[in-house]
Amino acid sequence: MKSVLKSTLFLALASSALVLSGCASFKAAAPGDPLEPINRGIFSFNNTFDHYLFKPIAKGYDAAVPNLVKAGVSNVFQNASDAQSMVSDAFQLKGQKFGDDFGRVILNTTFGLGGIFDLATPMGIERGNEDMGQTLGYWGLGAGPYLMVPFLGPSTVRDSVGRYADGKIDPISNLSSVPVRNSLMGARVVDARVGLFPAEALMNQAALDRYTFMRSAYLQRRQSLVLDGKRPKDE
Amino acid sequence: MKFSKWLIALAGVATLAGAVVVQAQTAPDALVKSVSTEVTAVLKADPAILGNQAKLKSLIETKLLPNFSFARMTQLAMGRNWAKASPEQQAALTKEFQTLLVRTYSGALANFRNNTIDFRPLRMQAADTDVIVKTVVNQANGQGIPIDYSMEKGADGSWKAYDIVVAGVSLVTNYREEFNNVIRDQGVDALVKQLQAKNK
Repeated sequence: MKSVLKSTLFLALASSALVLSGCASFKAAAPGDPLEPINRGIFSFNNTFDHYLFKPIAKGYDAAVPNLVKAGVSNVFQNASDAQSMVSDAFQLKGQKFGDDFGRVILNTTFGLGGIFDLATPMGIERGNEDMGQTLGYWGLGAGPYLMVPFLGPSTVRDSVGRYADGKIDPISNLSSVPVRNSLMGARVVDARVGLFPAEALMNQAALDRYTFMRSAYLQRRQSLVLDGKRPKDE
Repeated sequence: MKFSKWLIALAGVATLAGAVVVQAQTAPDALVKSVSTEVTAVLKADPAILGNQAKLKSLIETKLLPNFSFARMTQLAMGRNWAKASPEQQAALTKEFQTLLVRTYSGALANFRNNTIDFRPLRMQAADTDVIVKTVVNQANGQGIPIDYSMEKGADGSWKAYDIVVAGVSLVTNYREEFNNVIRDQGVDALVKQLQAKNK
């Protein structure tokens, strides 16, 4: 019994030493990104995948579909995300945001014909723009290590947990008809990719190293969302 | 005798006029507002300008550049590495960084053409020399993008921006990490070279 314990302990120590020496051989890791070497690998995989498959599809869609239709499609997905946001508003006890998102969803779903038209925005009802990752952050959970998720892009441990929870309350992925659900989820991905074109162009123009640039922008953006645009105290 | 009296009077008037000019320097929020309004008005009146590199460049150089402190921006983006750079390197960095930012900005302008800008009220004391001017760019899809300008008052009393924070993402902070990585691995000269290559 004792020897088993001893060897386990030895193994644990040896492996931690290995991990430590492994770390030491990397260049000093950026704070918040201990997995940088792995993340960079996934980043480069994502870029290749995007370049050969994802971006061409989104470009084709962007070129082929009239603007009016594209706007309607975006609005439907945005409406679904407003409904998700409502849940996070409630979990953060943000009454104003909850009321706004609730009003948006009711108005856009009924008079906006299932969300195709966004009537709430011209009426000045602002988007709450909350999600479960922000909710966890609001209640004090730190972002944790930065993660580059295959196919999905930048995230953190906290935001990945949040994304999983958001998926559970996503109106579209809970649709009962599988073909409708799958085609909507596919269309949503394409719509989101088209929405990234301006930011992508900006990043390509501005960044010396796109990985670092994206990481810094992502982490700053998420922190700002958690703080609802207020500045962090240490600034 | 008379001449010297006249000279003193002249000096007095000049000082007074100088003081008045300093007093009349535009407040930082008014400056951001007038510059943004002017630039968006030009873009609206002549959308073809976005496809015309020369015109776009001159718009940015006349309207925007004078209101930015690129020296301060570069210094902040360099952080503690600034002291490690020689004066020549510092000058080269500032020049290249300015070029990079101007290019990026002219690319970004295209996306702002059809948007309206809200200017948030500025809370500042008369003695303040460092303020944050808050604006919100309203997009057609209902998502407002907050854009904050960090501004400082120069010795001549004019306000200049030294950081732009878009949707919570600070330009200076973003570049600080990039600059730091390059300098740590390859040194200051490598950073100058990378910026030059990027700007070619």
